[in-house]
Order: sequence, then structure tokens, then C-alpha cells
Amino acid sequence: MITKAQENQPTSNSPDRVSPPRMNRRALVLGGGAAAAGLLTYPLLRRAIAKRGMAFIARGQSYNGPLEQTLRDGLLATGFEPAAIAGKRVLLKPNLVEPTRKSPQMTTHPAMVVAAAAVFRQWGAKVIVGEGPGHVRDTELALDESGMQEALDSERLEFADLNYEDVGWLENAGRASKLSGFWFPRSVIEADLIVSMPKIKTHHWVGFTASMKNLYGTIPGIKYGWPKNVLHHAGIPETVFDINASLPKAIAIVDGIVAMEGDGPIMGSAKPLGLVIVGTNPTAVDATVARLMGLAPERVPYLQLAANRLGPIEESFIAQRGEAVAGLVSPFKVIDRPHLRALQTDAGPRVS
Amino acid sequence: MSFVEEILDSLAGRLPCGYHAGGPASSEPTALAVMALSAQGRHLAAAKGIGWLAELQAADGSVGPTASQATPGWPTSLAVLAAQYAADSGGALPTTAKRFDIDRAVGWILQTRGEALPRTSEMGHDMTLVGWPWVENTHSWIEPTALHVLALKAVGRGDHPRAREAVRLMIDRLLPDGGCNYGNTVVMNQVLRPHLQPTGLTMLALAGETNADPRIAKSLNYLARELSPRTPAASLAYGLMGLAAHGWPQDSANSWLEAAYRRTIALGSSPHRLALIALAAMDAQSPLNVRNRHGQRATAAV
Repeated sequence: MITKAQENQPTSNSPDRVSPPRMNRRALVLGGGAAAAGLLTYPLLRRAIAKRGMAFIARGQSYNGPLEQTLRDGLLATGFEPAAIAGKRVLLKPNLVEPTRKSPQMTTHPAMVVAAAAVFRQWGAKVIVGEGPGHVRDTELALDESGMQEALDSERLEFADLNYEDVGWLENAGRASKLSGFWFPRSVIEADLIVSMPKIKTHHWVGFTASMKNLYGTIPGIKYGWPKNVLHHAGIPETVFDINASLPKAIAIVDGIVAMEGDGPIMGSAKPLGLVIVGTNPTAVDATVARLMGLAPERVPYLQLAANRLGPIEESFIAQRGEAVAGLVSPFKVIDRPHLRALQTDAGPRVS
Repeated sequence: MSFVEEILDSLAGRLPCGYHAGGPASSEPTALAVMALSAQGRHLAAAKGIGWLAELQAADGSVGPTASQATPGWPTSLAVLAAQYAADSGGALPTTAKRFDIDRAVGWILQTRGEALPRTSEMGHDMTLVGWPWVENTHSWIEPTALHVLALKAVGRGDHPRAREAVRLMIDRLLPDGGCNYGNTVVMNQVLRPHLQPTGLTMLALAGETNADPRIAKSLNYLARELSPRTPAASLAYGLMGLAAHGWPQDSANSWLEAAYRRTIALGSSPHRLALIALAAMDAQSPLNVRNRHGQRATAAV
């Protein structure tokens, strides 16, 4: 047990706000056993997701369509090597920030998770689903309202409640914010591969949210609160970048079948797109998503930070697989605020 | 055997307990279980939980979320509620056990403040009001504020200026049509949605207040309207307790809680949810309904 006296206590001037552990190792021991046995210890897996700058786009998709085939095609097309994942732990991370049946466009559709689980299981992986909802403490409610519980039951999928697990410490590998590191749940640290499975949404503070911002949900509520206000105080773009830099074992499968526009990420309206975007580099995937939304990735602060550090955002450096971006761009309505207008590639639609 | 007795039997053998079966022992579910057990006279089992919370208590009086995580200190509120209730209900620790120091915990609570921020047109709530944060040196949010107000009321400090300002904060954070969420009301001119659990908890903390703000009645109406036999356990429990604390008992509460109990068992027997169900089954007598005890308690070490 770590007592209060053994911890480095934050002062009122501490940039961390949550106490880092006394020992700043790359990964803190979890319950006495070695943690972070994930990606970095598996060269084959590292190669599997190191093919930078590819994004696969599938159009005409629906939640009752052949999503499993789409995801398999997308992963293979963007360089994922199935052999690398055999016997490994895969964490599927949907976005269940504040689910309600009244707004299904807010959260990742369960059909996406079911399809992804089937693909990785066929490739021999041990699959679990995990999420730490950012706005609701009642995780049972989040699973119920999103329809995810039914999917978990039908597919016999294990769920990791990331808000309430044992936690371990990873140093901040990004250092855009002043946070020295992050507490992550055991399931995140022990995963060999994290699959960020966001819903495409506008975001009234940072423009849009996709696979990178979705990893906010890997941060545990018992350490950071509901909302995870420590991250807000440290800067949203900065901490989005830092969390992604600290979790290099992530890839992206994006739900753009029915997206959210307007006052996202919670109160926006449905925008049917019929798109699924897949890639092994979340930065490249999110830059592609931004273009599809009519936003300029180079103007999005967290993509600016990630550009050429975590992955490419320039269109010429992202190898497109499946459908081309051109012709699929469908400008999203954004709230009429200067910081959001500045992200639009032209005078796209706005809402007040 | 009633479902409540089944829950108490289960909790009695699991203290300290976690949010989920097999999860790390945690302060919040342990404190809730202590209250449920104490309320039914199971003092020996409750004492084990209090003793564990006392072991976690830091020199400054705070209690962290788990044995390995001494910060943040938001569970201190729940530890105070549990320790005070256990003492009031006649429970006592064996003399060899470490005592939970309520006075020291209250001292920590009173020196911990949410960060006030300048008012801005983008946010609908009064950001200058001070309650309690989840994490020290961040903004005040409604659930930790409600928990700490309940703790202060339980030890007879409900009239403290910090508690009074926190009550104003909670009312300020209620949505125009009633209910509340994690603590935002209007963002960029958009009214946000209410959630059941924080609304129920906030109604518990506001019970006994004389404020006539119509949003309180609207919040109770929201709970009464939205709770159902299908409502998940924690939201159902807090919702029912919030209603009961204001004299709005629900005729179907017991059957809804029993249904939630069956689902909780089927989903893996979360001790956290089981404790909440047991507490809610006590209606207005729930230990979390501190309105009847406001001003009657003296702090003590147990």
C-alpha cells in the first residue's frame, strides 16, 4: 500500500493536481507486478502498427451491414499484420461519454464494437471492451443507454470499467502540457493494443473529436473526476496530444456512419455519413476525418501538436486506401464562434 | 430471506469492498457498505470497514479512493458519513483497532476548496461560487459538493459558511427545468441534459433546506417522472433516496430495487451497487438522509 506520506504531494502550485507516484518509472508497478507489458515489448506488433500515414475510408456503410468485412479490409489495407495480434490483449475503446437513447449520435454504435471484436478474435486476440465515461459515474447506465450492454452480453465480451480500476503511472511522453505523467487503468496499461473507436463529432471547445480525443476516456475518474477536470486545467489540446504520445499502442476505427454536427460533443444533431475510417496511426486518421468534415487539420490545435511527431496530417503524406477523401467531404455545421469558424476550410455551415 | 438481507450477508463478508467484484478495495463502496450494515445493526461487520478506512486516513485527515491511492481526497466525505453514522448507531470498534478521526477529516474538508473562476458568457453557472472539487485545485463540481455538504450536515456543521455557500452552488447548478448533471448547466447558450444519479444525490444534500427555488421541485418531479423498474442500480438508488429525503416516497420503490438487485447479481454482484440498493431500501431512514440529524451531532472519534 502506498501511504500518503510516501507519495509526492502536490502543492498549490503543482502543475499535476493529481499526485504522481514517488517513483517516476516509465510504468508504475500495479499491485506488485510489472505493468506496461504491452506494445513496446512486442517487436512484431510494433511493426504491425508502425506503418505511418495510411487511412482507409469505406462509404455506404450501415450498422446492419457487413461491418466485419469492412473493418478487416480497412485494417489489412492500412498495414495491420494479423499475426502480430495472436494471443495478445486488445482493448476496444468506444466513446460512451454521456449516453442517452435520445441522442444515439453521441456515442459509438454497438455494431461497430461487435464487428471489431469479431475481427480481432478471428485473428486470435483476447478482446475486451473498456471505457471510462467522462460525464456519468453510473457506468451501468452508460452501457444500458448506449445499447452496449446488450452487445457485450450477446457477444460474451468482457467490459473493463476504466473509471474504477487499479491504476498505474506512465510518464508523459508528450510534454505539451505541464503534467508529468498520467494515471491509467490497469486494462489500458496491460493492453497490447488499444483500438480507439470514436464517433465522429464536432466539439465546441476543440473543433472536432475522433480517435485522439476519444482516449480521454482511458483516464480514470477516481483519480481525475467527472468531468476529468485536471485535463481541462492543463489544456485540452495539450493533454489530448500528451495522452496519445503516452499511449503509442493505439490504432483507430472510426464510426462515421451516423455522426454528430452542430453543438457537439453532447448536444449536437445527427449527421448521416455512411462512413467508416480505419488506420493504424490515429493522427493520420483524425486528419483525414477533419478533411471529411470540412475542417482544416493544420488549424486544429491538437493536430498541430501531433503533426510529424505522432503522425502526418498533410494530405500528401497520408496514403489513402479505399475511397478517396475528395468527393466525400461533407462540411459539418459548427457553432458560430470565432475559434470554430477558424477551423473551417471555407465558409461552411454554422449554427448559433 | 429478503433481498436486503441477502445484500447485507454478501457485504458483511466482503469488507473492504470495491466498485466491482474482484476490483480493488475502495473507500466509496466500503463507506456505503458500512452505512448499510450499521443501519441494520450489523456493527461487527461495519467495524471492519471503518477500521479499514481509518487505516487509509492520512495525517491531514483525508481519505483517498483506494488503498494504493491516497489522493484525491474526495472520498473523505463518504468516510465521515460512514464513521459518524456507525458511531451514532451504536457501533464501536474493538479497542485494538485504529480509530477514524472525524474531527481531522472535517478539518481537511473545510480547508479543501474548489477553484473559483471568473464568470464567462460561455458558461451558465456562477463560477465564482466555491464548493468542493473532485481533485484539489480544480473547479467545484456538484457531486463532490453534495457529498461534502452531507458530511458536514452529518457532523452537525451544516451551518458552516462553507456548507451554506455550497448549498447556493448546488441550487445554482440546477437546470432550468429541473435536475442536474455533473455540474454544468448552460454551455454556449445550450441547456444541457439532467442525469439521475447526480440529481438524486443533490436532492439528498438539499433536503431540509428552506430555499424555495422552483428548480428543486422541478428536480423532484424529474426524478419521479424518469425513474422506472429498468433504471440501473446506482441511479435508481440515488434517485429514490433523493425523493424520499423530500417526503416523496415511491410506492414501487421496493419492487424496483429488488429488480435492480437481481440485475446487479446477474452483472457480477458489484458491492458498490449492492450497498446503494440496501441504503435506498430504507426510504427516508437511509443513513444518507441526514436532514433529520442536522445540528444534532457532535463529532467524535470512532
